[in-house]
Amino acid sequence: MSTLDQKPARAEGRKDPWSQLLEKVGKNQDREAYHALFQHFGPQIKYYAMANGMANHAEELVQEVFVSIWRRSCLYDWKKAAASTWIFTIARNQRIDMLRKMQRTSAEMPVETEDLWQIPGEHENEPVTSLHRLMSERRVRDSLRHLPEEQVTVIAKVYMESKSHQMVADELNIPLGTVKSRVRLALNKLKVILQDQNV
Amino acid sequence: MKPHHPDTTTLMEFSAGNLSDPHALCIRLHLDKCAECCSRVETLDSLGAVLMESQPKSELSADMFDSILSRIDSDEIIEGGSVGAAAKGSERISPLAKLLGDDLNSLPWKRQLGDVSVLDITDRFPGQQEQVVLQKLAAGGKAPSHTHRGEETTIVLQGAFADQKGVFNQWDFVVLNQEDDHKPVAVGCEDCITLSVLSAPVKLTGMFGRMLNPFIR
Repeated sequence: MSTLDQKPARAEGRKDPWSQLLEKVGKNQDREAYHALFQHFGPQIKYYAMANGMANHAEELVQEVFVSIWRRSCLYDWKKAAASTWIFTIARNQRIDMLRKMQRTSAEMPVETEDLWQIPGEHENEPVTSLHRLMSERRVRDSLRHLPEEQVTVIAKVYMESKSHQMVADELNIPLGTVKSRVRLALNKLKVILQDQNV
Repeated sequence: MKPHHPDTTTLMEFSAGNLSDPHALCIRLHLDKCAECCSRVETLDSLGAVLMESQPKSELSADMFDSILSRIDSDEIIEGGSVGAAAKGSERISPLAKLLGDDLNSLPWKRQLGDVSVLDITDRFPGQQEQVVLQKLAAGGKAPSHTHRGEETTIVLQGAFADQKGVFNQWDFVVLNQEDDHKPVAVGCEDCITLSVLSAPVKLTGMFGRMLNPFIR
């Protein structure tokens, strides 16, 4: 894939290569760019589904996510969120949707998943400037790298396996209080970022 | 964290997509009016993305991309080739309006005692464990003193109320539990309407408690 070999991130400063590819899909329905995104994010999303106990529906979820990426890509704005964040929120919403469909009785829900969980950039009630958003993504990546393993393990179980704090405590065989303090310690590092942002 | 805002760990569970619909609704309504919490959720969404990237990858079936392509091709025939047409055309209606319409005051409220009316909307969320209730305290009115069994997540939809912890205005968020014995008073000239998600029924402690028990089933 020549687009990737050329490291387009360098050429365009803040825009990461995945966000550039996603923009190409949105603007030109570029299938080569779409395929590159699929190869990078597809296996991550499949793992996400499996970690969430959806092994029998893992590829179905990947498919739903990518169809959704294609349909919504024209709404994607790199100034609002990096491609990875945007795609994560779509994967999360499709997972919630799929679970809702599986659990649903005959009754229709008046409120849809996307009324509650939004995709960044699709609603204009977002006052934070783009520069702050981009800095925040980069700094989350950096601060995660510096977190102790035990804190990363706990927050990864919340995000990747949809576990409540109590479930994480049971699984790791540690007290609930310990789980909560690890989460708080981890988030405190992120909170520093947020305080900086609001200055 | 700060009173009047959701706790960061709750925002994390929201960002991870782990909250029930009624609980997520309380967070959504707050986020729509709170730039600060919105910005926290954006950072937490990025945390989700970075975590997903740092996890193992699972290999995909060889023919998967082709089946995705054939799906988007058949989409384009239906939609006349316009990508994202459906997404673009939809204007956002508040989830509150979708659920309850535009006028909260004209809902079929059930008068409890004096100043308090309630409306149980649990059945609007099929398959959920929690009880979801709207409560209305008439302007200037007082609610009977009560504690909470389990946890009660509340968002103010209209007006304001005050208790010993302070004044809670429209779109403020508050979580009450066993330790909170409070006696809210509606302040301002409007009826105060709140949306609450109860993990367990409320227990009344005041003199009307035994007569009333409006939230216990």
